[in-house]
Amino acid sequence: MVRRVLALTSGRIAVAVLLVIALLALLGPLLAPQNPLAGSDNALATASGAHWLGTDYLGRDVLSRLLDGSRVSVLGSLEVAVTALVVGTLPGILSVYLGRTFEWVTLRLTDTLVALPFLLFAVAVIALLGNGLTQAMLVTGVLVSPLFYRVSRAATLAVARAPYVEAALISGASLGWTVRKHVWGKVLPPIAVALAQTVGTGFVIVSSLTFLGIGVQPPAPTWGGLLASDLGYLDQRPWGPLAPALLIMITVWACNLLADAIRDVYGQAGRALDNDRKARAHHLARTAPAPTGGAS
Amino acid sequence: MSGTAVPRPPVSRPHAAPRRPRAAVVAAALATAFSLTLTLSGCGGGSSAASGAGSTLKWTSTYFPSHWDPVVAGSGAQFRELALVYASLTRTDEKGAAVPDLAESWEYNDKGDEVTFRLRPGLTFSDGEPVDGAAVKAAVERAQKQKNSALFGDLTSIESVEADGLNATVHLNQVDYQIPQLLGQRVLQIASPKAAASPATLDQKPVGAGPFVLRQLVPGTKAVLEKNPDYWDAENIHIDDVELTSAPDASTVVSGLRTGVYNFADIAPSQAEAAKKAGLDVFVQPGFNASNISLNINKAPFDDARVVDAVRHAVNRQEFVDKLTFGYGETTDQPFPKGYVAYDPESENAYPYDPAKARKLLREAGHEPGDIKLDLVIPEEDPQAEIVQAQLAKVGITVGIRIDKNWATPFFAKDLAFSLYSTTGRDSAVQTLTAHFGPDGPLNLSSPYEPKGFADAVAEVRRTPLDAPGYPKVLREATRAGLKSQALVFTYSSPNLIAKSKSVSGLPANPAHIDWTGVKIAGN
Repeated sequence: MVRRVLALTSGRIAVAVLLVIALLALLGPLLAPQNPLAGSDNALATASGAHWLGTDYLGRDVLSRLLDGSRVSVLGSLEVAVTALVVGTLPGILSVYLGRTFEWVTLRLTDTLVALPFLLFAVAVIALLGNGLTQAMLVTGVLVSPLFYRVSRAATLAVARAPYVEAALISGASLGWTVRKHVWGKVLPPIAVALAQTVGTGFVIVSSLTFLGIGVQPPAPTWGGLLASDLGYLDQRPWGPLAPALLIMITVWACNLLADAIRDVYGQAGRALDNDRKARAHHLARTAPAPTGGAS
Repeated sequence: MSGTAVPRPPVSRPHAAPRRPRAAVVAAALATAFSLTLTLSGCGGGSSAASGAGSTLKWTSTYFPSHWDPVVAGSGAQFRELALVYASLTRTDEKGAAVPDLAESWEYNDKGDEVTFRLRPGLTFSDGEPVDGAAVKAAVERAQKQKNSALFGDLTSIESVEADGLNATVHLNQVDYQIPQLLGQRVLQIASPKAAASPATLDQKPVGAGPFVLRQLVPGTKAVLEKNPDYWDAENIHIDDVELTSAPDASTVVSGLRTGVYNFADIAPSQAEAAKKAGLDVFVQPGFNASNISLNINKAPFDDARVVDAVRHAVNRQEFVDKLTFGYGETTDQPFPKGYVAYDPESENAYPYDPAKARKLLREAGHEPGDIKLDLVIPEEDPQAEIVQAQLAKVGITVGIRIDKNWATPFFAKDLAFSLYSTTGRDSAVQTLTAHFGPDGPLNLSSPYEPKGFADAVAEVRRTPLDAPGYPKVLREATRAGLKSQALVFTYSSPNLIAKSKSVSGLPANPAHIDWTGVKIAGN
């Protein structure tokens, strides 16, 4: 799958951007040129050699804070996506096979979860359990999981009645084996699309919560938090919000670009593209010039 | 409106942070959008304000009242907005001294435990009810007894009130010459007894005898008021209408002022230069704002006086002023501004910034750097906390900042060890002192502790008439006694920074108040 996605320009761009973001999350705190928590008398300074992105209202280096804050944003969004994947996918596949009661219950649960506004719910959970991003993101992941439930269920339904799947079951193959062997491969591409989209959504949610000062304890830096604090000092640093805003925007854009690339590769368009490529290769083989020195 | 579960203290708001809490930004943005929509569509309430006739004050405030019943609203910063509707027995002048308002005079008995207020004749509330001694009695009793009253703690000196026509005689349980100072706009804004019979209704439809009458209220968002022709000093009120709105995000207030959406606003210090560049009048209204670090000496490590002293020496007050107030505030080590009658020059700079001395004190107390780890518990994000954290880190105290949305409950129950508080002060200096240093003071995190000699000093102040020659001296002695308290480290005074259109004339420099008497608005 990776090779096919990378064959597309959009796929290559998305992966490159997301790799950089992942590196920032991994190495950001090490790359930070200064202590992101150390204040100085040089508050709200403009960009300079000492402070490439200037300083904030307490004299802290903005670049260092951005780098240090990458991890929270990346981990938070991954937590949302992985939770949603785990909670939504398996019930989605099993709902096709485990009988009408299981199907009915899971469908109603999904309907209920869809009705809950996840941002408000995350705020409520934080108010209840304390100010921490982990619990908020877990709950948000559960609320986003209907997307995975529906995608995996729809994909499973498409192959569940296929003759080769029925033949496998009739021949005595276990449900687990059948799902692993015949269903999972068909379900994986749409789930990958949903996963990439959900990571992007996770970034937006983490940034929104931290923008509102929810989920992290000060003075820990976050992209959303930096954006919010910079907005209070537009007169002094009008360009201040640009860096965190661009980082958030580019990351979300890259996630969506990756989702599009996966869809292009595995969706109808992808199949058409693939068929076209095969056809062209076949045509080229058939019309290739005869080797020189052959019959004349 | 039903009562709150936790009794509110007789104080302002927890933190006068220079930035708005982020959670409020979204609501404020919606409020602004709503307000702008109303303004632009010309359907803002049907008053003359909306049609642009007459002189209209367009005031956007970060203290838009959440309650319009003065008993529930308490004596915090919102009293300024409520004072549009309600008048009081007394008000304060530019020196902060009590002067007549609804009461034209008052007189103490010889012993000093009884004071009779004589009300102005012929006054009525905006619902037509008479302003008389019975209304005063009802107001005091409601403040003392109403279940959700935020004022009962301020009125502990009052035994009872006796009404006799236009006279209201206040019987006290001790000699207390502070009562005229106390019963001003912060503590006794008087509502119509008829309207106050239903406090929940009063909370949304305030009825007072103040300079303006409420015509429309969008809770939490906007209030439209018009001049009260029956106000006792109506001839000196030159504003026809008021549109009071909840302030949007600090960074957009100046734009609103520049474009005429507002013509008066309290602004964040970070916006002052932008306001000046926009050609607005920017000024600091005098006040009693004072921020402090609250310590609980009943809990470790503050049960050791050397640790408390170390914290006192670790605090660099100038950093608060420079970074949070952009130079508009002042450093302070007491709850009164310099020059005020209660300010004690002898106590000034008793614990200067000296991190080396702080480290030495900690070592003497047996604490190596990093030994002490504290949670600084606050209700919302506040840059003050980050400064405290950084300053204490320099002397080896590790501070974690913990935001607790339910902060008020443990703070006023005195369960916290370490917190922050900012007050907007009180008109009665004794009230300010007892709130901070008294054994039951809501701002004394170390209750029931009180500094030695404080009770006697305060009693002496109460016994001294306000116009007695020795009053300033005994008051300063009480301040000095209070400042011996180990429970509070005062840091800085945030400014009451206001920006207004040049069309609005200057305000009386009345400390901590916003007085519209004599203010004119041109070219509306």
